Amino acid sequence: MALPRPPPNDHGRRDCDSKKKRKEAEIYQALNSEPIDVAALRRMAISEGGLLMDEIRCKVWPKLLNVNTEDLPPPPGKELREDNKDYQQVLLDVRRSLRRFPPGMPDEQREGLQEELIDSILQVLQRNPQLHYYQGYHDIVVTFLLVVGERLATVLVEKLSTHHLRDFMDPTMDNTKHILNYLMPIIDQVNPELHDFMQRAEVGTIFALSWLITWFGHVLSDFRHVVRLYDFFLACHPLMPIYFAAVIVLYRAEEVLACECDMASVHHLLSQIPQDLPYETLISRAGDLFVQFPPSELAREAAQQQAERTAASTFKDFELASAQQRPDTVLRQRFRERLRAEERAKALLTTKPRTNRFVKLAVMGLTVALGAAALAVVKSALEWAPKFELQIFP
Amino acid sequence: MATEVESSLELSLSTSGTEPGTLPPPRSRIFKIIVIGDSNVGKTCLTFRFCAGRFPTRTEATIGVDFRERAVAIDGERIKIQLWDTAGQERFRKSMVQHYYRNVHAVVFVYDMTNIASFHSLPLWIEECKQHLFTNDIPRILVGNKCDLRSAIQVPTDMAQKFADTHSMPLFETSAKNPDDNDHVEAIFMTLAHKLKSHKPLMLNQPPNHSTVQLEAEPKPTMTCWC
Repeated sequence: MALPRPPPNDHGRRDCDSKKKRKEAEIYQALNSEPIDVAALRRMAISEGGLLMDEIRCKVWPKLLNVNTEDLPPPPGKELREDNKDYQQVLLDVRRSLRRFPPGMPDEQREGLQEELIDSILQVLQRNPQLHYYQGYHDIVVTFLLVVGERLATVLVEKLSTHHLRDFMDPTMDNTKHILNYLMPIIDQVNPELHDFMQRAEVGTIFALSWLITWFGHVLSDFRHVVRLYDFFLACHPLMPIYFAAVIVLYRAEEVLACECDMASVHHLLSQIPQDLPYETLISRAGDLFVQFPPSELAREAAQQQAERTAASTFKDFELASAQQRPDTVLRQRFRERLRAEERAKALLTTKPRTNRFVKLAVMGLTVALGAAALAVVKSALEWAPKFELQIFP
Repeated sequence: MATEVESSLELSLSTSGTEPGTLPPPRSRIFKIIVIGDSNVGKTCLTFRFCAGRFPTRTEATIGVDFRERAVAIDGERIKIQLWDTAGQERFRKSMVQHYYRNVHAVVFVYDMTNIASFHSLPLWIEECKQHLFTNDIPRILVGNKCDLRSAIQVPTDMAQKFADTHSMPLFETSAKNPDDNDHVEAIFMTLAHKLKSHKPLMLNQPPNHSTVQLEAEPKPTMTCWC
């Protein structure tokens, strides 16, 4: 079941402009109301066009993260770069991150921003010793730096790092891997054929790793698309990026199914993200999927992915152990037999009742209008937001 | 006699999604090579140089695993060389990259000749690799990158050679960037590909201009011979 391609744009430019104007007014109204209407701001960040422009983002992003902009930390001193365990890695990654800056920016200006980027990252890490730097974190921080400037970026990223990004910043990436385990169950819900194909190819989920841990900042070259997605993710549940990743894979179902069913081909195809994705359609689609298949519903299957992999690797161990003892011909024969037996067993295991598919499709039809999806997502986001803690894992 | 390499090649074919009982479509053989080493040693540049034939203008930190491929002809046989370019940061190694060690036919360890720390990390990488591959018997080579930065060299060749000998690996010193040395990176990967194809004993010579480096140690008899 392929996703519908975006409809041809039949709105005139004037229509589009007036819509934008209206939305802008609504956003300012929400910002100026007393108390600030954060729910409305979330809705705006999710709905078509997101927060429209960086000027608005500077005002709204802090509200979405519940950050007080009056109370910014003092600029860092020189000692920041001394005895910081992550300094060398941060330096290496930032120095190499030329593509994150607008093309045509004078070198001098870019170099200044790179220094600010290093400071911003180190400051957050210094104030939160429980957080660990990962390659890709700099792709997130640079987005904030370019939109809101160094001092505000530091506080926003600090909040984000202790909430949305918390799992990526553990000492190990085990929790990140666990979040990636949500990807295949989501795909399975919508397109079982695609899911099965990808499982057969043993493609894994690492093609989506950089998408997830940089919120797509590492892979999208047009900055406007990046900030549009950040609007969306900032307003939503921390797991939304994995739904968006699933939506991209689903959108490319035909391409995936047309490729050779092996790890390399599928990994290669999927890791080259198309730059002309219909972002608004995909955002609304990700919202819908989140509503239909909330994380709580997928948690069990995600955990199962882990178990299946363990079983698979045990099998591999067995194979390799016997490789030490048996002639290859026998080994190969045994491998084939085991493989067939395993496939049969797998087929039994993965046959799930899909009786409620039509019910779900009906719901999908009802929520196709972005407004409905957005409202529902906002609701989920709000349920999570006041607690401000990650309870992804049961 | 069938070798480990052959059997693992066959594994990668037989697990590639064909239904049992049907023949896989005719396809060229694939050599899967994983490239590992510390951050910023030039793994991406080396693989890019080999697959695209030039030094990339701007490379960024690799997140997770990138994949590059090039088809070559060796003795008239069409072979696909797959290079799996991995993230250098330690945290990605354990839980992330593991999956991509599957059915690997060769390993390329890379260090930065201008960064001694990247050389000192090699034992860790070798250990890591052993854990993932469960065997000692697939071809491994050691590549010192950035040899064009002559004034900044921190890892002397004799030291690297000693290390390579201890670990029964051939050593290559090269530069993915140096335009005068265009085909040297090419020669390294092609030597490895020939090695994989012919399954002859490991006697890899440095390609021309670097004739100083030669592997002397034969694989120990206790190991399963991959050659």
